[in-house]
Amino acid sequence: MAKRLRYPTGVRPLLVEETARRRSSESKIVSILERAGFAEVVLPIIDYVEPYAATGQIDGRQSYRFVDRDGELVSVRSDFTPLLARALAPSLQPSLLPLRVFYRGDVIRYAPSRLGANREIFQIGAEIIGDDTPAADAEAMGLVSSILRAFGISPRIIYTDATIPESIGGGAREALAMKRGGEGTSPLLAKLIAGSATTADLRQSPETRAVAERLDAIARLAGDDCSAHLDDVDAEPGYYTGLRFRAYDAATRITLAQGGRYDSLYGRFGADTPAVGFTLTIDDLTEGVPARNDGGQA
Amino acid sequence: MRIAIPKGRLQDETLALFAAAEYDVPSAADLATRRLVFSRGEIEWIFVKDCDVPVYVEHGAADAGVAGLDQLLEHGSTAYQPIQLPFGRCRMMLIGAPDAPELASLTVAKIATKYPRIARQYCDRRGLRADIIPLGGSVELAAVLNLTSHVIDLVETGTTIRIHNLVIEDLVAEISPRLIVGKDVYRTSPELVREMLARVGAAVERNQLTCAS
Repeated sequence: MAKRLRYPTGVRPLLVEETARRRSSESKIVSILERAGFAEVVLPIIDYVEPYAATGQIDGRQSYRFVDRDGELVSVRSDFTPLLARALAPSLQPSLLPLRVFYRGDVIRYAPSRLGANREIFQIGAEIIGDDTPAADAEAMGLVSSILRAFGISPRIIYTDATIPESIGGGAREALAMKRGGEGTSPLLAKLIAGSATTADLRQSPETRAVAERLDAIARLAGDDCSAHLDDVDAEPGYYTGLRFRAYDAATRITLAQGGRYDSLYGRFGADTPAVGFTLTIDDLTEGVPARNDGGQA
Repeated sequence: MRIAIPKGRLQDETLALFAAAEYDVPSAADLATRRLVFSRGEIEWIFVKDCDVPVYVEHGAADAGVAGLDQLLEHGSTAYQPIQLPFGRCRMMLIGAPDAPELASLTVAKIATKYPRIARQYCDRRGLRADIIPLGGSVELAAVLNLTSHVIDLVETGTTIRIHNLVIEDLVAEISPRLIVGKDVYRTSPELVREMLARVGAAVERNQLTCAS
């Protein structure tokens, strides 16, 4: 009887008004992407696990997997980017590059559900493939900025370089991910943890000089909505090999888009091609986020 | 800024630390009113169960808070942990029932715990096969009454273990409370967060100097 009313955790239908809002948002974003020269591709909702297993590019803990009737282990789409790399890699011709593509659709993620977080997430993403320049990095962030502004959102885009911890070494990733150093923390790492390091500090060391030069080049091209936070390091680097950014609504502090550069991902599927891109979760833009309740202060 | 204070064993020392960092914290009389939210200047203090602090911070309902490493590990919290606090430290231990064989010698062991995620990770790390029995409290009783052969729980003084003739078998983790900060507030209001970290960090250092002298 109960199942007549409820759905599995994290999924729900959209009825008429919500569907209209989502489609309207979707159209607005698609028209911005098309005007910017991006063409759409459609990617499968399920795929074999095996092609991705060797690359370590799909986190098995966050995807739904099952054995199909042919006995093959398959996974429901939880991240568009590796799927796009696998789909495009065999047919990428140098004459076609740089290629600008976008995609849209659901990803399904097994995520903690304590706050009723959606497991079925409708995303639109875009990628510039075959362009390794700082200009492409700035273009990706600029596009996110334009999309968010089209929804009346004042964006705040924070970026860094995902390779900074490995350039420094010595447990830098864990220290930066925790924002806490130890007794052997180097002066540069301590400065990064404290949030006071600049690219001028990175230029002092041969290991981080190239990263600093790249970030400075991006800074010269990026818009006013973008600011470098060198310490903004993920606990796991994932497939990112350079620029890593997140876009926030400055008013609500909610993450609305994220992306970065993944220059080795296509190589794992046979095409040694750089790429940079981003994804937006449409319903975050459509629904907006309510201001925090003050809880009845004393 | 909204800061989550854990009710229970860490509450008084946490408030004392923020007071030492020259924050206007709710008084004992305020707390006696049983309100859970207090606004003092720029800071809104909220009082939540200790196990819920990581949840509030992780999802942005609080900007910062104080939580034990036990709760952070159990929730798989990804919040920043910039300051380790100098009080409330204890150990998470594997404890055997009186006369229970060592966990490693059991084909399938049963472990009662309030921390099923940590217990599962501990068993996986050691290559142990065990059924994890989640309990809400008084976990040692499970071993005393032979509900399970072992328990994993926090040990502060060890009195409960001695009284019931339980046996400490292994250290699972050293536990300390940490000041935690949500990633979103850190990224979008870094100046605000760093000012708080500087004040609390200075208070921790003063505390440690006082203890050392």
